[in-house]
Amino acid sequence: MTANERRFEYDSKEEFLEKLAALVKEGVKPGAITTFTPFHVHEAEHILKSGPSALRYITLAGALAGFFLSFAFIIFTVLDWPLITGGKPLISIPAFIIVAFECTILIGGIISFLGFLHLVRLPNIERIVDPRECGSRFIIIEELAADERGEKQKRRREEEKKRSKNNINSPWEKTPGVGR
Amino acid sequence: MNLKLFYDHVEQDVLGAMRKPKPVYWIALGFSVLAFVCGLGAWGYQIFKGMGVAGITHPVGWGVYITNFVFWVGIAHSGTLISAVLYLFRARFRSAFNRTAEAMTVIAVMTAGLFPFIHLGRVWKAYYLFPYPNQRLLWVNFQSPLIWDVFAISTYFTISLIFFYVGMVPDLAAARRHFTGFRQRLYKILSLGWEGTLDQWRHYNRLYVFLAAFATPLVVSVHSVVSWDFAMSIAPGWHSTLFAPYFVAGAIFSGTGMVISLTVPMRKILKLETYITVDHYEKIAKVLLVTALIVSYSYIVELCLALYSGNLFEISVFKYRMGGHYRFLYWVMIFCNVFMPLTLFIKKLRRNIKYLFVLSLFVNIGMWLERFIIIVTSLAKEYDPYSWGTYTPRLVEIAITIGSFGMFFMFFLIFTKMLPVLSISEIKEQGEGK
Repeated sequence: MTANERRFEYDSKEEFLEKLAALVKEGVKPGAITTFTPFHVHEAEHILKSGPSALRYITLAGALAGFFLSFAFIIFTVLDWPLITGGKPLISIPAFIIVAFECTILIGGIISFLGFLHLVRLPNIERIVDPRECGSRFIIIEELAADERGEKQKRRREEEKKRSKNNINSPWEKTPGVGR
Repeated sequence: MNLKLFYDHVEQDVLGAMRKPKPVYWIALGFSVLAFVCGLGAWGYQIFKGMGVAGITHPVGWGVYITNFVFWVGIAHSGTLISAVLYLFRARFRSAFNRTAEAMTVIAVMTAGLFPFIHLGRVWKAYYLFPYPNQRLLWVNFQSPLIWDVFAISTYFTISLIFFYVGMVPDLAAARRHFTGFRQRLYKILSLGWEGTLDQWRHYNRLYVFLAAFATPLVVSVHSVVSWDFAMSIAPGWHSTLFAPYFVAGAIFSGTGMVISLTVPMRKILKLETYITVDHYEKIAKVLLVTALIVSYSYIVELCLALYSGNLFEISVFKYRMGGHYRFLYWVMIFCNVFMPLTLFIKKLRRNIKYLFVLSLFVNIGMWLERFIIIVTSLAKEYDPYSWGTYTPRLVEIAITIGSFGMFFMFFLIFTKMLPVLSISEIKEQGEGK
């Protein structure tokens, strides 16, 4: 744990959820909270108001691409070297649907998996070398970095005010006759 | 029990099962490797000598190799049923079997996938099956069920593998804490740096649902496509619209039988009795019973369709099945697949694990015979009496068949010691709900 974060650890899901709800109620932004759980805690999503996963669009795109590209490819192959077999038309839609259906699932599944890896930033080399995992505990980490930054800025402004009162000029302040 | 203690117990029990194997494991692995090597040797001999060493010839050109292909694809099906379909229906008992079933699926598809190559004879020409630009300027025939098969099996293997792997990622992350040395490094890499943050779980959950939704129609489509390898040809006994649902039900039936055959000794050897309980077996026995009833119904419908069709060839093939050269195998099949599973109506037998294990072996035998009967009898006695003939598998075919079982059990045994056999995160989640 760094100085910029507060860490809360629990053995049970209920305590974890209570604390999570309390933090949100205190006004802590969901973006400043990271949770680690041994399994998926659906209630945490509601408390932190996580939106639906963007994976559904990626999956849909993959499945549609698989369907249309495979259909286009099959039709291209029969037109590239027209050869009538079994007296059937060159473009036999019912027969092609089967391969197109399989490709919909194949490409959809592969793209979904790759999309998932992209969304969750895996594989994470840093975490492969030095894993960070909660084990069997429920952990909440509240990032304080943003607040601290605010405090620092506040302190700097106060110091500048003091400096201007004591007439301590900045070295970059314009002086007559000196161009910058 | 304190929840933290329960979670730790789950991890220790499941991951503890992956530690140093007992002598019985090594003996089982030794036998499996031996059988696998015998099979490889027989295949090598067949490649060297040519397809003449196998018993398949005119008129029975599809024999034990295609029987094995259909059998292993069928075995693979229950993995997806237990894992994907039961997940979508939120059936909680799946957590006792899903990982084993998924591993079984991947291994069974790998085993099945070898048989078209074995059957091909000139295995070095196997790449002709795939559509690629070539000097001959020809593409594959997309109207052929054999090409549908190439796509169906490849898709099934890829999606099953992704589904199996994705389900395991959080458990591999747990495993990396419990092991040291090479295995720890392996699990660190395989878990991809998984942390278990809310964001990761959120997307993970979605992915799992989508993969389950993709895998479910695959269960239906892949074995339907396999059945069309037969149904699309105008051979008596094959050319029927019943074939697709008949094959799918049979596949799930045989796969469920194999899950029982594998998990009964596994739970005993790995001491997982707490997690795979009698209640779980009772539920899976019900799945076995329902699918057995569908298969039995299909046998009746198939026979009635033939008798009612008025087609002499259809009727004669079914008479041949029941009273011809292969009648003994036919009636053994009926006994194993129709009569034996009916005993599962008795609750006491559904809850008797030893009985279920024995029954599952009968189911496996029965379903292998079913494929053999369907394939061989229709080819042995087709239309023209001039081309009738019988088929008996030769030693090479028998050795390759035994080798395929060796390969399947060898990879399964390696799986039980290398990867978590139960879904740790899912058991933890269910423990929380209790």
